[in-house]
Amino acid sequence: MEPFTHNDGNRDELIIQQKRDIEKEISDTTPLISEQLPLTCLYAEYSGDEIFTAKIQDLSKKYKFIRRTRPDGNCFFRAFAYSYLEYLISNNSAYQEFKKLAEESKEKLVQLGFPSFTLEDFHETFMEVIQRVSPDNAGGHSTVQDELHKIFNEQGYSDYVVVYLRLITSGKLQEEADFYQNFIEGDLTIEAFRHLEVEPMYKESDHIHIIALCTALGAGVRVEYLDRGEGGTVKAHDFPEGSEPRIYLIYRPGHYDILYPN
Amino acid sequence: MSTPARRRLMRDFKRLQEDPPTGVSGAPTDNNIMIWNAVIFGPHDTPFEDGTFKLTIEFTEEYPNKPPTVRFVSKVFHPNVYADGGICLDILQNRWSPTYDVSAILTSIQSLLSDPNPNSPANSTAAQLYKENRREYEKRVKACVEQSFID
Repeated sequence: MEPFTHNDGNRDELIIQQKRDIEKEISDTTPLISEQLPLTCLYAEYSGDEIFTAKIQDLSKKYKFIRRTRPDGNCFFRAFAYSYLEYLISNNSAYQEFKKLAEESKEKLVQLGFPSFTLEDFHETFMEVIQRVSPDNAGGHSTVQDELHKIFNEQGYSDYVVVYLRLITSGKLQEEADFYQNFIEGDLTIEAFRHLEVEPMYKESDHIHIIALCTALGAGVRVEYLDRGEGGTVKAHDFPEGSEPRIYLIYRPGHYDILYPN
Repeated sequence: MSTPARRRLMRDFKRLQEDPPTGVSGAPTDNNIMIWNAVIFGPHDTPFEDGTFKLTIEFTEEYPNKPPTVRFVSKVFHPNVYADGGICLDILQNRWSPTYDVSAILTSIQSLLSDPNPNSPANSTAAQLYKENRREYEKRVKACVEQSFID
């Protein structure tokens, strides 16, 4: 932690207040997860920018729609969960497999040393969400799809899903600490990294978070990188490498949204 | 109205009653579950021994996604406690995890009393004395222990 050389607790409070104001402005104007929008809506954000315009054009050959997530630091986890559940509700056998894995994940985290009392709270909500979007539920696919969208825009449920995925990610990092230590720059230990960058809400995700979560859940993710890099085409990366993607995300520096392939 | 924060605070309270950690106690105020009063007893074999230090804990609807604001009401002379009772403790700031509950918060503050971190001081006099003049530090701490009986 930053050493404080002053005696004034108010400075922290001022910074916290300012952060809250900014967060409130974002949450008032942006839903946690938007409706599906045509990918071409991205043009408007970069009008006059040749590099981005060319890249969006390239991207639109592969993807028709985008679904925006609120830029609150949790966007990767929220986009991941939404997109994966969307895939699972159309694939009953994969859904059943995931449900079993999710059910068993709590015991695994307890064994890794997570406090079972509080873990239970998140796990219960996580399982409730999975149950509510079961492909076997009455009303069929479109009803379940609507339910998914509703749940993910309810802050309480939506955030608990994010918390639980953060805990699974943290658990994976701990379980394979020797391996993941290689991804960490500087002299932070895995232990410190988990507590500073993974478990706290609103902390942005990096490759290490993505790899750990995908590996823990056995879910392939393709990330399309829309940035200022040269070449005129958007570069994609699959996590874990060589896996079959079930989840498609677009990354623009600092932010993830969901993509829908043609 | 039941919200995730309120539901979770009821759970925290139930756990604190059923399985109370040694040397701490806490409960919601009569008419508001979002504001708690708590007491931490000074840990044995430290200059804080025998002190009864009162705190308030204020939660927002974002709990447990965000940490509560915890403040000593009793005067506490400690390197990591501000003059207004605010506490400089990493798990209440950048190392907060939603897996912490009230019980974990109070026991962490209790161990902060035993093991100050003079490198991130909130009270520079206390930090300096702790490092350079332990006898004087203990004297000042004992004075606030005495004071805590009266408060």
